Amino acid sequence: MFSRQSFGLNAVQRQSFVISLTAFFTSLLLIALVSVLILIGMRGMAYFWPEPIYMVAGKHPDGTAFTVFANVFEEPSGKDVRLKYSDSQYPYGSQKQLTKDQVGRVNLAPESAEIKFQDGRRVLATPEYIIVPSKPAQGLEKINAVMDEVALITAQIEELNTQKLAPIHEALSQFDKRDVDEDAPAREKLVASFTEYQKRVEALESTREEYELWVTFADKSAFVIPMSDIQSVDFVSRLSTFEKWKVVFSEIGVFLSDSPKQANTSGGVFPALFGTVLMVFLMTIIVTPFGVLAAIYLSEYAPHSALTTTIRVSVSNMAGVPSIVYGVFGLGFFVYTLGGSIDELLFSDALPSPTMGSPGIFWAALTMAILTLPVVIVATEEGLRRVPEGLKTGSYALGATKFETIVRTVLPIASPGIMTGVILAIARAAGEVAPLMLVGAVKFAPALPIDGEFPYLHLDRQFMHLGVLIYDGAFHSQTDGKSASMMFAACLLLLIVVFILNILAVLLRARLRKRYITG
Amino acid sequence: MLKLFEHNTLNVDDISAEQTAVEVRNLNLWFGNKHVLNDISMRIPKNKITALIGQSGCGKSTLISCFNRLNDLYDGCKYNGEIIIDGRNINSRKINVSRLRTNVGMVFQRPNPFPMSIYENVCYGLKLQGVKVRRHLDDAVESALKQAALWDEVKDRLFESAHVLSGGQQQRLVIARALALKPDILLLDEPTSALDPLTTLFIEELMDSLKKQCTIIIVTHNMQQASRVSDYTAFFHQGRLIEYADSDTLFTMPEKKQTEDYITGRYG
Repeated sequence: MFSRQSFGLNAVQRQSFVISLTAFFTSLLLIALVSVLILIGMRGMAYFWPEPIYMVAGKHPDGTAFTVFANVFEEPSGKDVRLKYSDSQYPYGSQKQLTKDQVGRVNLAPESAEIKFQDGRRVLATPEYIIVPSKPAQGLEKINAVMDEVALITAQIEELNTQKLAPIHEALSQFDKRDVDEDAPAREKLVASFTEYQKRVEALESTREEYELWVTFADKSAFVIPMSDIQSVDFVSRLSTFEKWKVVFSEIGVFLSDSPKQANTSGGVFPALFGTVLMVFLMTIIVTPFGVLAAIYLSEYAPHSALTTTIRVSVSNMAGVPSIVYGVFGLGFFVYTLGGSIDELLFSDALPSPTMGSPGIFWAALTMAILTLPVVIVATEEGLRRVPEGLKTGSYALGATKFETIVRTVLPIASPGIMTGVILAIARAAGEVAPLMLVGAVKFAPALPIDGEFPYLHLDRQFMHLGVLIYDGAFHSQTDGKSASMMFAACLLLLIVVFILNILAVLLRARLRKRYITG
Repeated sequence: MLKLFEHNTLNVDDISAEQTAVEVRNLNLWFGNKHVLNDISMRIPKNKITALIGQSGCGKSTLISCFNRLNDLYDGCKYNGEIIIDGRNINSRKINVSRLRTNVGMVFQRPNPFPMSIYENVCYGLKLQGVKVRRHLDDAVESALKQAALWDEVKDRLFESAHVLSGGQQQRLVIARALALKPDILLLDEPTSALDPLTTLFIEELMDSLKKQCTIIIVTHNMQQASRVSDYTAFFHQGRLIEYADSDTLFTMPEKKQTEDYITGRYG
């Protein structure tokens, strides 16, 4: 027991001691919070920043010498240097970690460029010249014009494929279905035009293949890159700060709009971003009416009995159930039992391959809705309790029934409370990963849950999620610094998404509060 | 105190059935085991102001809440006996409570405007009844606000929140809200106890002018108010109707000792 004279301090000193103690822990908390934000922010933004390219000469631990173009990173220990390089052996990039004395000369290489590929790979090399069909080799100053030319050809091929070849192919398969004769004139005509368009595509493709970029590595070995594979060529070391920022913004654009490439270590995160937002959106649509109706029953209609109290306590306790439990429940009940039954009833011709009986975005949203339901119920009940009794009586006295009173008076006044619940639910659902991996979120989904095919919203499809992407990417991080920083960028994005969703909900709540001010 | 209003009243025992707005017959009411109203019988006359006085907890507010069945909202409330309004016993199960409440308006102690615009507040009841035609609503809002003597003060800001109004204005708005339904009976449960004296006077004048169109039953703790505005006064004590008479008689020569003690302020 502390006596009042503890530590020999007087009253004022004791008080200031208590203040400093509590303030100390508050500041620890702040420091933790700020460092998380700074770490995620810095590492996330670093992913987009073009790193300068150096020509590095050095010795391997076994004594053999090497010369490579590389991005150079000093390891946090200060003793080691990490190189991300390209050479004739590993043209598409590799990394190595060396001690400082193994690295010899390090010179900036202004001639060399970072060449990014459509498929997410990259090469660090010095571009030498461009091969263009039926012309002499072109200098590098023409590179943008040539890339536009190639892009034009690609667009033409694309157009022929989608506008001409695909419809003809479709028509031909229709003929097949109706058992039209092989030598029916209409069919022969179609086949002829199909062959003709195919020839044109092939011709364009072979022209495109003739566009090549010749590059050399630091050891002067040459390497040929088809121009059609190239996404961008940046002479990083020559860029001014302004131009570097331009690169950063175009990289952010790619990051937000492109699909992941090279096993989620490169490219963009658009499907994951889309999946996350869509899942949260579906979850909100499901959980809001459920939670609000349940809360209305509990607070307005349920008799004041021990059973009601028990239900209320269990609802609050449900908020503390580990999320993976909900994941297992979602898999066992929603996916297998519910989805399985739906398949038997509605999609029996597709069996044994499951339609709704496999993990998908709808089940994920439903599982998340169950997970966030207690939050919404508790907050809504809190909001309902705050509605002044006088207003309800006033409404009854004007001839309103209980239901009319709830709809016209109680719910509008409780709406800020309901919004608070929805905000908390969104924040929880957007950040939750574990249960999603059981009920529908995958590392890579071939298609988005929304597309142009009927019924447009495919609730049975698996989807990608930022949290799952980060979790998946974290496994690569020990060997590959670049992909690790992509995960930091994804983290940053997830933070921003949650932040934006919250801000929207908070603004909405503020508006409702202002509108339905009471008292 | 100056006698403000002329009263021309009958003896309570001479009120005929046609002149009766509310007839209470042997009303008993319990909250749980507590016997709140004990065998109340009285006739409340039409187009008059009847004041119910008595100590806090004597059951007068509970009694007027019986007239629009507001007591139904409370768990554990049981009652028997009859209350006849318009020739029908409103305590019967067959009564449409919503319709009863539109016919019997009520105003409470604290102004309770809804957190909506002034306009929306006044047409709340009408909209519940399914009135959708904008012109009808506009007319009803205007006439109700005029009856409640609020129109001139709010006509330029009908669509502002009702919470910008002062307490007295809010109370008149609540009265207008009830009047918009054209009730036959208006129940006022201590309508001025949260208001300042000047506003109180204003509301009292308003009551007098409303007498033409509806019967007013007011619960009040203010003796002067009861004697100023009411035609009839009933004194309650511990759930029983002790004395009921025209206000002049009751305040000048009460029959019962208890009444005299209460109105002269000797207890309560």
